[in-house]
Amino acid sequence: MSHLQTPHPHSSHAHAGDPQTSDGQHPGNQAPETPEGGHPIDAGLRRILKRETRSSRAGMAGLAAVLVIAACVYALLESALRAIGQPPWLIDPQTAAERLIALPEGISPLLLGSLGGVVAMVGLIFFLNAVLPGRKSRHLLEDPRAGVVVDDEVIASALARAARTAANVTQEQVMVVVSQRQVVVNVRPTSGVPVPEERILAAVESELQKMAPSPMPAVRVNVATSGVIGA
Amino acid sequence: MNGTPHVLNRILIGILGLKLLAIGILFVLLATVPAVASWWRSWSTGVWEHAKFLSEQTRIPGREESWLWVAALVVLIVLIVLMVAWVSQQGKGRANLIVSDYDDRRTPGDVRIGGNLAEQALRAALADRPDLAGVTVATYEVRGRPGLRIRVQPRQGVSPHTLAADVSRLVEALDVVVGRRTPVLIHIGAGARARFSKAERVR
Repeated sequence: MSHLQTPHPHSSHAHAGDPQTSDGQHPGNQAPETPEGGHPIDAGLRRILKRETRSSRAGMAGLAAVLVIAACVYALLESALRAIGQPPWLIDPQTAAERLIALPEGISPLLLGSLGGVVAMVGLIFFLNAVLPGRKSRHLLEDPRAGVVVDDEVIASALARAARTAANVTQEQVMVVVSQRQVVVNVRPTSGVPVPEERILAAVESELQKMAPSPMPAVRVNVATSGVIGA
Repeated sequence: MNGTPHVLNRILIGILGLKLLAIGILFVLLATVPAVASWWRSWSTGVWEHAKFLSEQTRIPGREESWLWVAALVVLIVLIVLMVAWVSQQGKGRANLIVSDYDDRRTPGDVRIGGNLAEQALRAALADRPDLAGVTVATYEVRGRPGLRIRVQPRQGVSPHTLAADVSRLVEALDVVVGRRTPVLIHIGAGARARFSKAERVR
């Protein structure tokens, strides 16, 4: 992945040029019987937005709960079978405990080691899932009334449209990758037609300034050295 | 926006992960390091003897089973119930009312406005926009207060800020209709429907 040099100042972080055109009529003022001002809503909204940009780990939680439930149900089954004097289904608790005590023996070390490796791997996945921040690929937009969360994919497709109209190429020749702090615009020019790199950069940056996502990413434009024929 | 317990999820998943990790590492060490194997032998035999002794002590009078078995069964059942309760916490928080305590003093009784009103009004207002592939509106309860979650799926290339401004204007109109300002979350997302739909050309 060879990036062409694109020396340009990182887009400023401040939301100075915030293009929020809140049109004059604010029904919040005219709305009848609104004893609470903006504050309790804003506090609640800030919490909501913070939660919306983080993963809730609901899927992992469900998986963990199912694992624990399965283990518990199995243990219940075996102890119940033992309690009513029936033969065990797979292994009865006492034999299981004795086998466990005699552990390095009774099982091939290769099997034991690989079993341990798999269990440790699953545990590591769970643990990292809990510890890592789990940020979702989303950005926030400013809005006078509501909290706005935008998936990075939507931002990318909007920026791709800006880049493609500026470069005058087709949709397939532009690929935009949006991450938390960076936007990478990859353009493959039509063969024989020069692509105005500065214009693309300016178009993408102005679209981004109008959008004003927070955190504001920096833009980088890569123009591929090989062109596309027949586009 | 829903009431999924984020912190609880992290803690419980972390505990389970640590336990599995410890068990796995113990297995690997048992298989590879002889010193660990001999330590494990002596330690676990001690524990097993102690458990046996305890179960001798705690025999149910008149029978030969120990009541520790019953206690273990109870603990297992409680654990299962707790796990089911944990799963049922995920994604809860849907509400039915968008305004539940409207007191305008002129009306005898109190006024309640269902969340369906907001959901259908917004969906109808956004229905004939060609640049949207889908709209879902749902009412959630956030810290005891109702809030709206508007999820729009624009087609490819739609500028999210203009879309957000349009939806926000609709929400302000809704504020006037309902007479209350509820917290609103606008989620502009990309789903499968938006991804495979054609780009919006005429705009």
